[in-house]
Amino acid sequence: MSLRRFVLRRALAVIPVLFGVSVVTFGLFHLTPGDPVSQVVALNPDVSAAEEARLRERWGVSGPVWRRYLEWLSNVLVGDFGREIRTGRAVSGLVWRRLPETIALGLFGWVFAVAIAIPTGIYAAVNKGKLGDVASRVLALSGVSLPNFWLGLLLILVFSLYLGLFPVLPPSRLPLYHPETLRYLLLPGVTIGTAAAASLMRVMRTSMVEELNAEYVTAARARGLPERTVVFKHVLRNSLVSVVTLAATLTAGIVAGSVVVESVFNWPGLGSELVRAINRREVNVVMAITVVTAVAVVLANFLADVLYAVLDPRIRYD
Amino acid sequence: MANRHEAADGGRRLDRRNLLATIGAAGTAGFAGCGGQGATEPSGSAGSDSDDDGLFPLSVRLETGGKDERIRMVELIAESLQQTGYFETEVETYEWNAYLDRVINPTYRENGYLPAIGLSGTFNPHSFCNVIHNSANVGACCNLTGISDPELDELLDSARYGIEVAEDADLRAETYDEIWRTLAEERYTSFTHFSVATAVTDAAVHGFATWPFQEGLFGYALYAPQDEQVAWIDRERRAGDADLADLVTGGTLTGAISTNPGSFDPPHSSDTTSTMVQNLLFEGLVVNDAEGNVHPWLAERYELRDVRDVDRTAYEEYMRVVGTTAEGAVDADEQVIARHPEDDPAADDEVRVLLPEDAREAAADGTYGMWFRYELHEGVEFHDGSELTAEDVVASYEYYENSATAPQTFDSVLAAVAVDDHVVDVYAQVPDAEAERELPGIYVLSADQIADVEKGGIDPREGVTPIGTGPYEFGEFVDEEYLEVSRFDDYWVESRGVAEAFAWFDGPDAFPDGPAIDAVEVEVVPDDATRAGALRNGEVDLTYDVASGTLEDFDDADDFVVHAVEAGGYDYLQYPVNVEPWDDPRLREAVNHLVPRQRIVDNVLNGWAEPAWTPIPRIARGAGTADYDALEATVKPLNEYDVERAEELLEEMAAEYGESP
Repeated sequence: MSLRRFVLRRALAVIPVLFGVSVVTFGLFHLTPGDPVSQVVALNPDVSAAEEARLRERWGVSGPVWRRYLEWLSNVLVGDFGREIRTGRAVSGLVWRRLPETIALGLFGWVFAVAIAIPTGIYAAVNKGKLGDVASRVLALSGVSLPNFWLGLLLILVFSLYLGLFPVLPPSRLPLYHPETLRYLLLPGVTIGTAAAASLMRVMRTSMVEELNAEYVTAARARGLPERTVVFKHVLRNSLVSVVTLAATLTAGIVAGSVVVESVFNWPGLGSELVRAINRREVNVVMAITVVTAVAVVLANFLADVLYAVLDPRIRYD
Repeated sequence: MANRHEAADGGRRLDRRNLLATIGAAGTAGFAGCGGQGATEPSGSAGSDSDDDGLFPLSVRLETGGKDERIRMVELIAESLQQTGYFETEVETYEWNAYLDRVINPTYRENGYLPAIGLSGTFNPHSFCNVIHNSANVGACCNLTGISDPELDELLDSARYGIEVAEDADLRAETYDEIWRTLAEERYTSFTHFSVATAVTDAAVHGFATWPFQEGLFGYALYAPQDEQVAWIDRERRAGDADLADLVTGGTLTGAISTNPGSFDPPHSSDTTSTMVQNLLFEGLVVNDAEGNVHPWLAERYELRDVRDVDRTAYEEYMRVVGTTAEGAVDADEQVIARHPEDDPAADDEVRVLLPEDAREAAADGTYGMWFRYELHEGVEFHDGSELTAEDVVASYEYYENSATAPQTFDSVLAAVAVDDHVVDVYAQVPDAEAERELPGIYVLSADQIADVEKGGIDPREGVTPIGTGPYEFGEFVDEEYLEVSRFDDYWVESRGVAEAFAWFDGPDAFPDGPAIDAVEVEVVPDDATRAGALRNGEVDLTYDVASGTLEDFDDADDFVVHAVEAGGYDYLQYPVNVEPWDDPRLREAVNHLVPRQRIVDNVLNGWAEPAWTPIPRIARGAGTADYDALEATVKPLNEYDVERAEELLEEMAAEYGESP
């Protein structure tokens, strides 16, 4: 199979996945008791049952679930995610406004993870079995084990409240590209990147150790190449294959983590919006964010597959 | 609103089974396991089965949702019942919205469960009794267990409507006292506690005070001459060290609020946060002080010119016949001001209704319940520079038609009519003892602005800047992030001077003519801990809705001040009076004596609430009782924690039902 056909096949496989995600989310959400209309009218004794029925009709929360799903799907296919029930404003505008915030946070977390994981992984592999290796492995284990909401709160407590180094609230009045924003990104970015950094570091170390034991390394050493050249020029390149692909897959973890981390840090991105929308039973917002997230994760995985195939010619596309 | 609780679908499925069990039991011998608990009770075990023959131990299922504190409260009550040995309790908790769906349902009353919920009241004493006891509110908010007592219904109506109470405040207070005594004796409901509203400020904020109801938080603290209330910022001194004479003007107050102010269009929003920020921008014809007394505001003066002894049938000749929809609603595009009391849209194909134009005609012909005349101040400027006239007031009433808050507004308002440029007549449909507060209860908007926008269209996110007459004008708003307002330079009270503007003002000379603080910046921060952290870190000067445990810390700290005021919120537990054995008043009396009100306040709410010894809080005492202390003295003994009395009653019932535990 050619690379092109492989890519094409992978791309086509994305469609049923997205379809499945949308069906499951839509179904779960609509079968849960409590809809936005009942929330709006529940505490108002003056709204009659008939008015409530009219509201339900208007907001598409009446009728059988399958029909509502089809209506929703046909709108989404033409790029219309519907409107927010409380405010009547277009959901797509909301998503576009929140998306850059989440991307900025995710990117920061991702860069932080890579920047920490790769040097530490190399260091641990080269010094395998020594104190530094053990220490970095313990750190990695704790990094994976720390729940991110707890880490986030701890960072706020120590760096914001005790030391007063960082603000608690996000920079609501600063544009995202302002250099000052970095200061605000640091704590949430570190929180979101820690788990990713830890797992990345472990993979980096393992594949590096494996490569270091390969015969071509012995050959290179025998030829009298300096250790630095052996490690950085030959071994690193080969061991990066699995790390690069893993880094792409970690996007899913970062996206999932953003829901919790954004809530903890009050970060105005898609994750905190999702939590809010679920609480308010904003069907259209929840669905839109889920779809956007699913697309991001699927794309990242797709990219990982392709990267893997491109980077390692030994992989067969089937 | 906390949403950490599982929406137990299992609980839903249990309903039907329990319902059947209840009906079955009620149909046989007059004993009922109150909802059976068929799904959870171990059945057919080899041990003693004697329990099955008597009433006790009685299975009780308490249900609640929402705040953690409410759930802990219900668990405490359940434990208190359990300890007597007469009850097998079970507590079921739901996510708030799922819970509302569950309990605000006409069939819920048949389950035999005990629901607990929290509502917020107002200065109107009706808000503490009518919604939860009037049979008209069964299946709606919030007569959850279907209390249906014709005598009580009549008593409730007679306390608010009719010429007698409208003209005689003493009679009205006595009628309410009778309601409170009836409720205390019947015990359809156990009120547990009244909420205390709290706000925490940095010590640099001086003269701050909280309004009894949360929606007034900012506007009230910043400038309220009716209570001689004004806040200012002075970072050199600490709150309490300075008084009015040291007032410093200028500065920006930063606050953190928990939810997004979703709307800037007053009639099209009913959430607390929106009202809270609208308070800064808009004003009404009158204003309430912290005790609920009404003072003229945009109206220089007002008077009640006439009261007529009519009910809604008086409008018969002005009514039109309109159809009804399949769902049983009135099919009319215009606001239905009133419906003929003999017609029922759910049952009839056609109903007689009063529409706005006809209502004005009726008022002009002299058919009305009450007639108020409001004389507006001259020279009041809107934020866009135009002058307030009677047209703006009339247009504002019309803008409230068919809005989210229309049902409340047109519950009492018949029509608003401009007499000349600065005089407006407002008519009530029937004599209404609450009319003085309720009739002028709208924000006055600019007629020019509302002529240009669709209903609900005053929305800065759509490019429509809200225009009012208030002390602050709209600055900037980013959805879910922050809001900025700044002082309005041509604020009418300021240009005129407070003593000049308000004949009723008798405060000190040092009291400023307008707010002292230049600008208010509000951040939207949903997470309680983050909000508290931002305050502690000096990023904001003010926040509210802080967990009661954290409040203690702020209270102990020197750099912060906790402001607390008894607010209108109340929590209650309702008894399923339609299901045996809860129809027996002795059982309700016993359970009521087992509700540990003081412990709920002390242990669950850390003291930040008032135990509900009466069904009405002290702040609503104005219209709601002739003598609050006397009422409390009469009613409190009926609501005190008293295990002995409870056990005595339960023992008596057990003997009667043929078995003791």
